[in-house]
Amino acid sequence: MAPSRVSSSIVSVHTGQDGNNRHPAFGQTVPESAQFKVEMSSNTTIRLLTVAVMPPTMALISDPKIAFAYLRPACVLLIREATFNNVETLNAQLKEVDDATLQQLQEYILFPLRFVLKVPGPKKDKLVQAVVEAMNHVLGNTCIQSWQILRELFSELFLCLCSPDNPGKPADTSEELKLAVLGGLDALLHAAYGDIVFKFFESKMLPELGAGISLLLTLAEKEKSRHVQRSGRLLGMLWLHSYPELQWRLPGSLQEMSDKATESQLGPSRFGPRLLASSWKMLSFSQASKDWVKNTSEKLCTLLKKIISSTAAHQHWRVRLELLELAEHLLDTCSQSLGKCVGLLLEALVGAINDEEPIVKKRCEVALKKASKKNQMPVNMENSKCTNSSQTFTDILSENLHSLATSLPRLMRTSDDQNKMFVLNVFLGYLKLLGPLVSVVLNSAVHLERISKALMQVLELDVADVRIVEERGHGGSLETSSGSHHSKHIRRKHFLHFTDEKIFFVLTEICRTFGYYGNVFLLTDLFLDLYRQSSAYRKQAAMVLNEIIRGAAGIAVVANGQRSEGKANVVPLSQEDLKAAVMLVMEEYFSSDHWHLVTVNEETHRDRQDRLLLRPPILLSISNAHADPLQFGTFACASSPTSTVHQLNSNIWQLCIQLEGVACFAQALGDNFRPLLMTSLYPVLEKAGEETLLISQAALDSMWDISKACGYFSLKELINENSDYLLNDISLNLQRLSQHPQAPRVLAVMLNHSDCTLLPLVRDIIQDVLMALDLSYDHTASLFCSVLHALMKALVRWFPMTSNTTKDSMRFKQTSTDKEVFDVRQFLLDYRRQKELAEGIGIEEDDIDELEIPPQAVFEEDDDASGPDVKAELPTHLSITKDVMERCIHLLSDSNLCLRLKVLDVLELCVSVLSEKEDELLPMTHRCWPALVQRLTADDPLAVLRAFRVLCTLSRTCGDFLRRRVSKEILPKLSSSLVHQAPISTKAGPVYTHTLAYKLQLAVLEGLGSLCQSLDLAEADLDVVCEACLPYLSCKQPIRLQQACLSVFHHLIQVDPDSFWLTLNELYCPSSFIPPHPDLQPMRLSGMGRPRDEYSDNVLTLLREEFGQSGDE
Amino acid sequence: MSRPTPSPIYTLRGASGPFNTLHFSCHGGDTPLLFSGSGKGAIHMWNLNTRRADRIIEGHSGSSVIWVSALPSTDTLISQGRDMRVCLWDLSKGSNELMDSLTTGSVGFCQCSLLETGQRTCLLAFGGQQTEELKIVELPSKTLVCSLVPDSKLGLVMCVKLWQPQSGRGPLLLAGYEDGSLLLWDITQRSILSQAKVHPDPVMCLTFDTEILRGISASSDNILSSWILDGQNNLQEAGYTLSWLPANRRSLNGFVFHGLEEGMKSYGNKHSKCSQNCNRMKNVVTGPKLCDSHQPRHFPDEY
Repeated sequence: MAPSRVSSSIVSVHTGQDGNNRHPAFGQTVPESAQFKVEMSSNTTIRLLTVAVMPPTMALISDPKIAFAYLRPACVLLIREATFNNVETLNAQLKEVDDATLQQLQEYILFPLRFVLKVPGPKKDKLVQAVVEAMNHVLGNTCIQSWQILRELFSELFLCLCSPDNPGKPADTSEELKLAVLGGLDALLHAAYGDIVFKFFESKMLPELGAGISLLLTLAEKEKSRHVQRSGRLLGMLWLHSYPELQWRLPGSLQEMSDKATESQLGPSRFGPRLLASSWKMLSFSQASKDWVKNTSEKLCTLLKKIISSTAAHQHWRVRLELLELAEHLLDTCSQSLGKCVGLLLEALVGAINDEEPIVKKRCEVALKKASKKNQMPVNMENSKCTNSSQTFTDILSENLHSLATSLPRLMRTSDDQNKMFVLNVFLGYLKLLGPLVSVVLNSAVHLERISKALMQVLELDVADVRIVEERGHGGSLETSSGSHHSKHIRRKHFLHFTDEKIFFVLTEICRTFGYYGNVFLLTDLFLDLYRQSSAYRKQAAMVLNEIIRGAAGIAVVANGQRSEGKANVVPLSQEDLKAAVMLVMEEYFSSDHWHLVTVNEETHRDRQDRLLLRPPILLSISNAHADPLQFGTFACASSPTSTVHQLNSNIWQLCIQLEGVACFAQALGDNFRPLLMTSLYPVLEKAGEETLLISQAALDSMWDISKACGYFSLKELINENSDYLLNDISLNLQRLSQHPQAPRVLAVMLNHSDCTLLPLVRDIIQDVLMALDLSYDHTASLFCSVLHALMKALVRWFPMTSNTTKDSMRFKQTSTDKEVFDVRQFLLDYRRQKELAEGIGIEEDDIDELEIPPQAVFEEDDDASGPDVKAELPTHLSITKDVMERCIHLLSDSNLCLRLKVLDVLELCVSVLSEKEDELLPMTHRCWPALVQRLTADDPLAVLRAFRVLCTLSRTCGDFLRRRVSKEILPKLSSSLVHQAPISTKAGPVYTHTLAYKLQLAVLEGLGSLCQSLDLAEADLDVVCEACLPYLSCKQPIRLQQACLSVFHHLIQVDPDSFWLTLNELYCPSSFIPPHPDLQPMRLSGMGRPRDEYSDNVLTLLREEFGQSGDE
Repeated sequence: MSRPTPSPIYTLRGASGPFNTLHFSCHGGDTPLLFSGSGKGAIHMWNLNTRRADRIIEGHSGSSVIWVSALPSTDTLISQGRDMRVCLWDLSKGSNELMDSLTTGSVGFCQCSLLETGQRTCLLAFGGQQTEELKIVELPSKTLVCSLVPDSKLGLVMCVKLWQPQSGRGPLLLAGYEDGSLLLWDITQRSILSQAKVHPDPVMCLTFDTEILRGISASSDNILSSWILDGQNNLQEAGYTLSWLPANRRSLNGFVFHGLEEGMKSYGNKHSKCSQNCNRMKNVVTGPKLCDSHQPRHFPDEY
């Protein structure tokens, strides 16, 4: 735009110095015009000319002479006849002329238009509008160099706006006309070339300008929003350079504006900020008396307040954007005259920092960056005034911060989430605006106190949820994460004072910003003090500390400008300092008072006793001296009456937060965290083994974060690489189990997440564990048992069974061939041969060899290969397993049921590991047999059930070895008890299912089937079992017993289908078997033709499911 | 009643053999180091910050390493093995290059003693090829300073201690022999200054505080004996005898007195702790050593 205007400004020979309204071309040189007339008198010639001049491509006319010739007729016509059509014709033609030419002909063209306006008498709106639009076009594309013309046009246009009767009031004209005139004025002011526009503001123009402004104001007050916007812009332009004499009108009119703004919604709200912006701009330029400025700014302040309060949290983002721009603009340009309003404006500016709308947010970031830079810059400048102003700016900011911090808790309690969000955003914005000056603000004790207390109150957690305590897992033991993939558990914190998650995020960002700009040592000291001071603040303080450290490392901080730049005034934080701060905090976190918290409500009586016994008398006195029993370790067990759900929940959350903290610290330090693993990994693993689900998950998450931060690929790597640190602590603490009852748990977690490369290192520790176990069977057994369990589970996982599948597969093959097509002929041949053999006919030695040796031979060969006498050293895992199994033998007869159950589990695992080497397993089996028999025959049903499982596992590996023992020592007892109990349970009522006898029956029945199958028992034994179980097929038995009994038969049928088919059919036979050939005798089964009885249902079920036999109706 | 033994700060694991000797190096560089020599011929350089072995030097072809020491001024490690060699290792630039080695010719297990005499020079005392022979060489030139053989038959040299007295005369040498005698040699004069029979059995190890001129020796009969050196350089028994556990007979090296009577007591404490660890780990513990920087830290050495 500008260059074209400059280039075209050579024109205008006519400066209009004569003050004559008449244009020279029209007035002075009559002969010339006559000459033209002669030339172009008829319409046809014009048209011809037009054709000649206008290129077909509609290119703009650029030759002034041609343009003149082209436009002249229309101009002349317009002067003669002021009609709408004529104006339109001219208007259309104007658009075919290019800007430069238009500039040359500017005055010539404007003349007829102005002439129309000046003709006295009423005119049609339409005509005036068309004229003004034509002028708009000219003004919009040219510039005005003559002050005279500018002034005249200005007053002429204003005349169109005001009513003819009263120049102070707008005319009663159409909306379109007003809009056009306003547009014209706008274009006019823009078209003013160079300095001439300033002539407007010379004192002699005052009346004219004043009238204009007041007219605009009235217009803006009365008319609809589009006018208002337009006039607002105009006003802004006018006022920009206006005079104090005029300004008296300002506050009043603005007052009215703002009323409008608050009344109506969108439009005025958007406009309001703009108008205000220009008003302020004007103020700052004004030279008026101080009183006036003060007065006005006060009034504007109230106005600003109104506008800000109504728009700050406005729903429409454009409104918020306008406000933001206003604030930025004012702060940027008028900071001197703003006075008290700076705070307000800052609030408005800063409040948009986390706006939902990205455009607003981005804009705000830019604005804040600018503001904070501007604010920090003068510190280095000589100019005292500037320094002063920046000083006050900082003062205002910190004052705002202080008062906000004071009111924060109240606001958090009372206002709604949206408002809370805004308040917090403002808080955050202040911090960002202050930038490095935050540390200066924090040096003030008053501020620090206020802010920290506010954070403590706002971040208060709601710990009433009962579920937190009740959720139990088996520690990390269940989760064995081998891969690098890990999905984080979501733990939503519930806060007392707000529900929106976003609010929490803003709060954390506030903390991070503190950490980023503030002095980390000061902050950590402060919050650590709070942390120590009272348990009420502990969780919040820990949360704040976590984020401060993260912030100090520059994690997740959106800072204004580059870090280096932003931190220019602050002592840069070295990694060493950060590490020191982290160590300080971690030490506090891991201190026994804050780490070993009670999280479990009910301890079994036994456990408590254990712990009491565990504790040496010296320790007892120490713990008694401790003030708060809940804060003391788990082994200080004075917990039960005082520990309410709230306290337990609170403890759980505290631990979770601290665990998150460790992860944060790892993130903050990255690779530099590795040396700290020496002290931090053990405590985290300790919590990963915790029973409370929330804690163990938090610990696991923390472990993942740590391994990521330290550059480990997986948890396994993290643990393996640092196993020396872990094992050092574990072995140390195993020596003092009474003070460190969690040591076995850590080992368990370690085993769970690691692999067999750990074995050589662990071996010593295992020896330690076993030795410690040997030394104190009575008290620590259950603790150790869980370690042994974890160990064995790990061993089973690390050394999956390979060799012992042979037996299984052999048997499997057997059964599977049974199910293949049944060859009757071969069967009969075999049968005959068997019968002959049984009768002693045709026995040959090699036949027997053939039949029986091969499977045995395989094993013997194996043994020979390893040499008869030289015993090779056992692989580590097998020797460990043997050692563990040894201990199990003793523990099997422990008086604590839970322990016995656990030991049985461990035993089962031992058996599966040891099954790799039969000649090690068999002696061990032999040794633990007596104890196992006791479990099977004379123990709690639960133990019986598990003992069965062990037995089954055993029988899978050493079936032959066990067969006789089972049939001799176990089956008789079990079957007789079953037979004995059967009539009782038949008659029993519903209460019976709660008795021990019932549970025992159930356990035995549930285990018996699989036992028979895996031991491959002989026929006689099977008969015994069958005999004992048959009564339980009765439908009078409790339903679960029936089901268990069915399972027994399912297994039995697997072993010997024929015989049990017969047995069942003899009980109840649903079908009649017709021989395929009349020569064959009809089949008679005792169950045939029997009426349905109590057994029929279950027998039918079995026959159907196992043999596909169903009744023939 | 004795106090319960404190727990160790950390246990350094992972060297696959018993340790024979330890040497702290806590000045100089920023990382405090501990050198250990194992029965399987490995020298571990433990970083006491990370508490892991930074380097492992296999220098004596599998024979037991019986002594290690570091020259702080030159970044050099000296090790002595049962392969009758003393090796000098260059530790600078992160490498562990064998700089030099000399053969002692001694089949015994007498540990060397080192005395820095100048910026780059030092004296090294060790048992020689013959039964009673003691040799002193200057390093790094390896020139033999003297060879000390007593007139009487005292048996093998079991332990030596070389030091520079404050009186300004030449370096002195204390040597314990197989028959239980303790000899004080003047190296410049090549003469015996004093002689005392402090034990009926071989002197297994000795330690001597050069400031208070008081020393302790231990023999294979499980007796500790304390003695002093008077102003005339005469060895006198101080009257203390103490029975001690036999597990570690060569373990008094580097023991530092912190007082007179207290010295004994603190020794007793430390020792019992050590032996307890020893029992627990079923390993031979070769002796406590205090960190050069006199920090209250203490690392029992196990594997």
